[in-house]
Amino acid sequence: MEKIILIGGKAGQGSALTSYFIGKIFCSLGYYVFNYRDYPSLIRGGHNFNVLRISDKPVYSHKNKYDIILALDQKTIDLHQKDLNKNGFVIGDKTLKAKKLCSIDLKSILSRLKAPKILEADILVGFLFKHFGVNKKILLKAAEKQFREKAKLVKKTIEEGYDLAKTKGKLKKIGPAKYFISGNEAISIGALAAGLDIYIAYPMTPATHVLHFLAKRQLEHNILVLQLENETGIANAAVGASFAGAKVMVGTSGGGFALMTEALSLAGMSELPLVVYLAQRTAPASGVPTYTAQGDLKFALNSGHGEFPRIVVAPGDPQEAIIRAQEAFYLSSRYRTLAILLGDKHLGESNYSFDEIKKSPIGNQRFLLKNPSKNYKGYQITKTGVSPRAVPGQGPFVRATSYEHNEYGNTIEDPDWIVKMNNKRLKKIRHLVRDIKKFNPVTVYGKGKNLIIGWGSTKGAIIDAISELNNFRFLQISYLSPFPKEKVAKEIKKSQKIILVENNATGLLGDVIAEQTGLIIKDKVLKYDARPFTPSDIIRGIKKL
Amino acid sequence: MKIEKLSTKEEITWCPGCSNNGILQASKEAIVGLVNKNKIKAKDVTIVTGVGCSPKIFDYVNVNGFYGLHGRVLPVCLGIKNGNPKLTVIGFAGDGGTYAEGIAHFIHACRYNANFTMIVHNNQVFSLTTGQATPTSEKGFVDGSTPLGIKEKPLNPIVLALESGASFVARGYALDVPHLKNLIKQAIAHKGFAFVDVLQPCLIFHNTTPYFQKNIYKLDKSHDISDLERALQKAKEWDYCFDKDTKIPIGIFYKKRKPTFEEQWPQLKKPWYNIKREIDWERIIEKFK
Repeated sequence: MEKIILIGGKAGQGSALTSYFIGKIFCSLGYYVFNYRDYPSLIRGGHNFNVLRISDKPVYSHKNKYDIILALDQKTIDLHQKDLNKNGFVIGDKTLKAKKLCSIDLKSILSRLKAPKILEADILVGFLFKHFGVNKKILLKAAEKQFREKAKLVKKTIEEGYDLAKTKGKLKKIGPAKYFISGNEAISIGALAAGLDIYIAYPMTPATHVLHFLAKRQLEHNILVLQLENETGIANAAVGASFAGAKVMVGTSGGGFALMTEALSLAGMSELPLVVYLAQRTAPASGVPTYTAQGDLKFALNSGHGEFPRIVVAPGDPQEAIIRAQEAFYLSSRYRTLAILLGDKHLGESNYSFDEIKKSPIGNQRFLLKNPSKNYKGYQITKTGVSPRAVPGQGPFVRATSYEHNEYGNTIEDPDWIVKMNNKRLKKIRHLVRDIKKFNPVTVYGKGKNLIIGWGSTKGAIIDAISELNNFRFLQISYLSPFPKEKVAKEIKKSQKIILVENNATGLLGDVIAEQTGLIIKDKVLKYDARPFTPSDIIRGIKKL
Repeated sequence: MKIEKLSTKEEITWCPGCSNNGILQASKEAIVGLVNKNKIKAKDVTIVTGVGCSPKIFDYVNVNGFYGLHGRVLPVCLGIKNGNPKLTVIGFAGDGGTYAEGIAHFIHACRYNANFTMIVHNNQVFSLTTGQATPTSEKGFVDGSTPLGIKEKPLNPIVLALESGASFVARGYALDVPHLKNLIKQAIAHKGFAFVDVLQPCLIFHNTTPYFQKNIYKLDKSHDISDLERALQKAKEWDYCFDKDTKIPIGIFYKKRKPTFEEQWPQLKKPWYNIKREIDWERIIEKFK
């Protein structure tokens, strides 16, 4: 069973919340759901829509052919009716004009119930579930859970819609309820699992939801969640808090990240842990603020002046985002350096369903000395390049610096020491390379002679596409720095056709692979219209090559 | 504690006779004085510096230290206080870093009122980069980057701090060490954001010593430090220019106990080193089911 439902309307009519609500109900019935959000950068008006893909098998992407459209305005029909499947139809108000419309007199229902216009969508929800034959009780229970004190009126509107529809199916609970989670929520709870103490951010789509999610729960988890004056101040404050021993994360998108870069270099030189969540959106500059892209890969890899070790890890779905967030904290603390969690709008704001949600057993160690000696040297040269770390207030004076320094942290300009300290810092990369092997820096899905290579949020669409393609494996590269070059080269060398799939205009990962392995990938399926791939985009793209 | 304990073996690379030495001496004396009176603990003292001449002080004071980036002393101080509210944090930066590159942070630091001290070595010039104008250089100032002379009036940081809500605002003079030491002591002891603008003549690029020697006077007890309007009047007596003799008040302009940043966040009463982070994973993920 698979159903694709589109819910559309003006911003402020509740299509996002309704879509989430419908998805949640299907999850509670044991179905797998993927929820894609598409909305322009405005507060009221315009055209927002969501696409729900519902299936009895795991799904990680959306499609753009629909079985049902829930229309909250005429524009939704005008824009999307052409993409209805053969037996597809529209549910909406009687004043709307569509080829196949299940029309409801929304206005009179609302006025009878004295309900606000925002509840129009819930009448459609009731109608939809009666159509599928889902028991009304399940629906009303879900409404109670979702809307709590406001549930009373919502339930009434749902019932009105429910009673109007004719049942065409008999959907039952097919298995245990699924978890329904977005990438931003996953990054947040991964950070909590890693022992996050402080999150600092400036609002910026598509990272803002992490700020909201953590801020809402800050007292419950005793974490500090701050919005400060600008991203430059935020990143510098984060390094300061890290110096004092706190586990810190900052979150932003490309433009804010650009302002943070000086402090990334500071984290590298002062050897202080810092985790940055970079949720990409369409760029350059202000770009297309509420849409997706993978255009900042090389920026993440090269941001910050000078040479220093860094971790860049790009999760492909929310489950992976939890684990990668924990790994980012672990590696950043252990190696005293910068870790970037590279996501994007598509991963951050889409909802994915899972049978279970796991965290990594990695723990939340701080890697701090309990009793630093009197002769403590904050930049002691060691075999791994990692100096044991103390924090101010423990006794011995702790000194961190943006200047080149000796083992005590005192400023130096002597050429021998400059070389020694560069070598010390860069030595960490060798050990990082070894350490990340246990974290599966790359993953291969499926079987076949041919290979698709991708990273980040394209994972879902590619996995869904290879099941329909003949003889294709998918190589997902999660760690972009340090780059798992041997594994990547090995997979490329044993494949016949090699195709790069990226949500950007130039194939940035292809450049990174070429730089790291010397191997050039010629065939690329690129999408840079600010929209994420669907599986059929990939299949069509490959056929065209 | 003896003052020698605060000295380091690092070579002082300020110019011979540089007035930064006055700020160094006054700061060390202030720290020793407060440590010996048990007002602060030496192991908690943390200095934060930026980039330029003034920040070299990082290498000359033997305490915890963070040598940050140009213009970013204030966010780092705030971050450190968020990471460990127990620490006694003192920022040192120049007028270029504080009033040009980092001016946004300055205004917001005055608003946030986190409990730390900011000492600005205000020589009204970028010295280490060979003498360009800063926001506090006087109108008409001529240098390599502005050979036609500065057209604008200088920014008055005392007025800006007062208007931005700072709870402790003072001006010192680098060549009056006993007076400056006393100011820094009071600034560190103040609960909240304490700002001290220190007039610090640069012998090489901006030698204003004769003017300061002639015109500086000390605010005395007749100045009511709890009166914001009065503080603003005093702050406007001198406009940071040198075209005519104007009396320059030094001392505390304004001081008021306001709730600090740390006091207003309940989480900072239980910082990371006082708790064990254990999360109830099942409870966290339950919300997604």
